[in-house]
Amino acid sequence: MYLFRLAMASLANRRFTAILTAFAIALSVCLLLAVERVRTEARASFASTISGTDLIVGARSGSVNLLLYSVFRIGNATNNIRWDSFEHFANSPKVKWAIPISLGDSHRGYRVMGTTEAYFEHYQYGHQQNLQLASGREFASDPFEVVLGAEVAEALHYKLGDKLVLAHGVAAISLVKHDDKPFTVVGILKRTGTPVDRTLHISLGGMEAIHIDWHNGVPAQGSGRISADQARNMDLTPQAITAFMLGLNSKIATFAVQREINEYRGEPMLAILPGVALQELWSLMGTAEKALFVVSLFVVLTGLIGMLTAILTSLNERRREMAILRSVGARPWHIATLLVLEAFALALFGVLAGLGLLYLGIALAQGYVQSTYGLYLPLAWPSEYEWTLLGGILIAALLMGSVPAWRAYRQSLADGLSIRL
Amino acid sequence: MPRALLALLMLVALPLWAAEPRDLAWSEMIPPDAPAEVPNMKPLHDLSQMGDALAAESAPAAKQDMPNAPVVQSLDGLSVRLPGYIVPLEVSEEGRTTEFLLVPYFGACIHVPPPPSNQIVHVKSEVGVKLDELYQPYWIEGPMQVKASTSDIADAGYQMEAQKIYVYELQE
Repeated sequence: MYLFRLAMASLANRRFTAILTAFAIALSVCLLLAVERVRTEARASFASTISGTDLIVGARSGSVNLLLYSVFRIGNATNNIRWDSFEHFANSPKVKWAIPISLGDSHRGYRVMGTTEAYFEHYQYGHQQNLQLASGREFASDPFEVVLGAEVAEALHYKLGDKLVLAHGVAAISLVKHDDKPFTVVGILKRTGTPVDRTLHISLGGMEAIHIDWHNGVPAQGSGRISADQARNMDLTPQAITAFMLGLNSKIATFAVQREINEYRGEPMLAILPGVALQELWSLMGTAEKALFVVSLFVVLTGLIGMLTAILTSLNERRREMAILRSVGARPWHIATLLVLEAFALALFGVLAGLGLLYLGIALAQGYVQSTYGLYLPLAWPSEYEWTLLGGILIAALLMGSVPAWRAYRQSLADGLSIRL
Repeated sequence: MPRALLALLMLVALPLWAAEPRDLAWSEMIPPDAPAEVPNMKPLHDLSQMGDALAAESAPAAKQDMPNAPVVQSLDGLSVRLPGYIVPLEVSEEGRTTEFLLVPYFGACIHVPPPPSNQIVHVKSEVGVKLDELYQPYWIEGPMQVKASTSDIADAGYQMEAQKIYVYELQE
C-alpha cells in the first residue's frame, strides 16, 4: 500500500506530464468505446426495427436497397409498383396480412408514409411488439388526417388537433409544399426507438389527394386546382404504391411466395426476406466496422506507447530518486513495483477519464444523434464486452510498465549515487 | 474387476446412447411413395424464347412447383439432428437469429424454383444463433414436428424446436 502511495506522490510531483499522458489514454479509450457502442447500438436498432414480417416487396432493385428505403427510410425507391399488383398478392390465400406503403413526401425533414389501418394492426418491431397510440386515434376515412411518430410530435411540438402542411420531396427545407391541403393531427404513437418515431403516417387516400391536381410534375395553377373539399369527394384509390409488407399463413411458404412475386408476369417486382437482407447488410457493414475497430485499437496502443515513452524518459531523471530509495532500504523489486504501479495508475486514470468523456459525449450528443441519425445511444453501464476491452487496456499497461520496471530493477545502487554528467 | 467396471460403464452408456438424436438426411423427409417428379426437359436458359419476352410478361403468373409437398408422418416427435443452411426470419436485438428456415441448399441459384415444402424446416430457438454469414451450414438438434396439410393453403411441413445449433464441419 505504501508503495502505491509513493507511486501516487511521485506522479503528483510530475503532474503535468502525468495528466497529459493520462489524457492521451483517456481520448483513445473514449474513441474505442464510442466506436464499439455506436456499432452495437446501430446493429440493435436495425435488428429491432422489423419483426414478424415475412416478405417485403417493392420495385425491382437490390435487396438491401429495398430494405433500407421501405423500413429504415434511408435512400429512395427506384420505382413504384402498381396498385393491382398489390391487390393480387394481398388477396392470395397464402397471405395473412398485407401493408401497402407509399413514400416520397416529407414534413420538415421527417418522412411521410402513406399506408392503411393494416399498418397499425400488423406492423411489428422489437420482440414482436405492435405499435401503440400514446394519444388520439388512428387515421379514419377522412383523407386529411395524420398520425405522428413520437419523435416528430416531440421535436416539432405538435399536439392533437394541430394542422400541418406536407412538403413535396424529402428535403428538410422544401420549396414546394402541399399547402392547399393541410392535415390534422389525430393521433400520436408511443415511442418505439425505431424509424417509426420519425415518420408521419397518412392514409393512402391522403397521399393520393395531395397529388391529385398535379400535372406534369407541377401543382395545378388557378382554376385547375382541386380544393381539399373537392378531393374528399373524389375516388382516392391509389394507382401506385412504393412497397408492401406481407405476413404469411405459413412460414414454410415464404420461398414459394417470394418466387411467385419475383416471377410475377404483371410487372417486375422484388420480394425479400427482411432477416436475410439484414444479414447481407451486416456483412456489408462488417468490413467497415472491423476497420474502424482496428484503427481505434491502434489509437489505444499509441496512447499506451506514449505513456511508456514518458515513463522511460523520466527514468533517467529519476536515477537519484531511485538511488535514495535504495539507500534507505528499498529492494530492487520495490523499485520495479513502484514503476509498474505508476504505469497502472496512469492507465487507470486514463480509462476512468475515458469513460467519463464517453458518457459526457453521449449525454451531450444523444439528442442530436437520435434526431439526425435515428440512433439511440443509451447512457448504460459498459457491457461485458466493453469491460473486457477496458481490462485488456489495463493489462497492456501493466505489461508496458514492466519495461521501465525491468530497467530500473537492473540499475545498481551505485549507478544513481555517482551521477556521470 | 476391470471387466465389472466395463460392464458398469456400458450400462451407463446405454441410455446415453439411446438419447442421442438420430441423424436425418433430407431425402428421408420425402415420403417414398410420393409421386415421382416429372423431369422438366426444358433448358434452364432457353434463349430461343427471347423474342417472346414480352408475351411472357403478359402471361399469367408462374406457378410454384409443389407448394404442398407430402410429408413423412412417422418423423413426428422423433429427436433428430439435421444439417442445413439457415435463412433468418427473426433477429433479436443482440443480433441472434431466433427463428429461421432450415434448407438443404441456399444461395444465389435462382435458375430453379425454391425447395418444395417438404425440404424446408421451420425452426424456432430460444437462445438463437449468431450468424456470421449465410453460407455457413449448421447442425440443428431437436424434436421434429410434422404438420400435415389442413387446407389448400400451403401450410404443411416440418417444424423443429432447436435445442442445439452448431456449425457443420466437413468430415475428413
